[in-house]
Amino acid sequence: MENRLRLLRAERNWSQQDLAERLDVSRQSVNAIETGKYDPSLPLAFRIAELFDLAIEEVFESPSRRSSKAI
Amino acid sequence: MFAARKSDMTPAQRAHTRRILWLLLAYAIILPPLVWIRANTAVAGYIPALMAIVASIPVLGIFASWGRYLSDERDEYHQTLALRRIAVATNATMGAAVVWGFLQAFGAMPLVEAYWIPCVWVVMQGMFACIAGFSRRDEQ
Repeated sequence: MENRLRLLRAERNWSQQDLAERLDVSRQSVNAIETGKYDPSLPLAFRIAELFDLAIEEVFESPSRRSSKAI
Repeated sequence: MFAARKSDMTPAQRAHTRRILWLLLAYAIILPPLVWIRANTAVAGYIPALMAIVASIPVLGIFASWGRYLSDERDEYHQTLALRRIAVATNATMGAAVVWGFLQAFGAMPLVEAYWIPCVWVVMQGMFACIAGFSRRDEQ
């Protein structure tokens, strides 16, 4: 699942470790989410969106919308 | 703020590793005298069964520790990785046990003690952890 996590983090000048500590997850989790290797659970996705004060769809791109755009 | 980088292990992983090391130490201490007693003394009755159960306790502890780890792990990504590793190791070990069992039944392979199956499982776990670690090197 595509997301804007790296961009949002960079805007705030946070390292992966900073973000991980704010979300109470490991740095590897942040890295795996940013690189699209792991899709977070819904509760974690909400925590991420709330941390950046954004709606969940402003952080994560819906895979179905993405594929319909491609068509 | 947040300058000090903590260990890459989660608290649950640290506790699990500590438990495994203690259990392996217990295994290394318990097993040699039991093997020696079995080989050099005429134990009979319920004693051999009791000795066998005592020898298996640390290994049972390793499996219990995995269960505890999965329950304690608060990091969902690490929990998912551990579950995936367990599933792959279990499938690979069970597959190898089935193939070996048939080879044995058809006389193509010698008899292997059943306690080697969990040993193979533990080795598979370690192997897949190493493979996963190498494949994530670029993430560091």
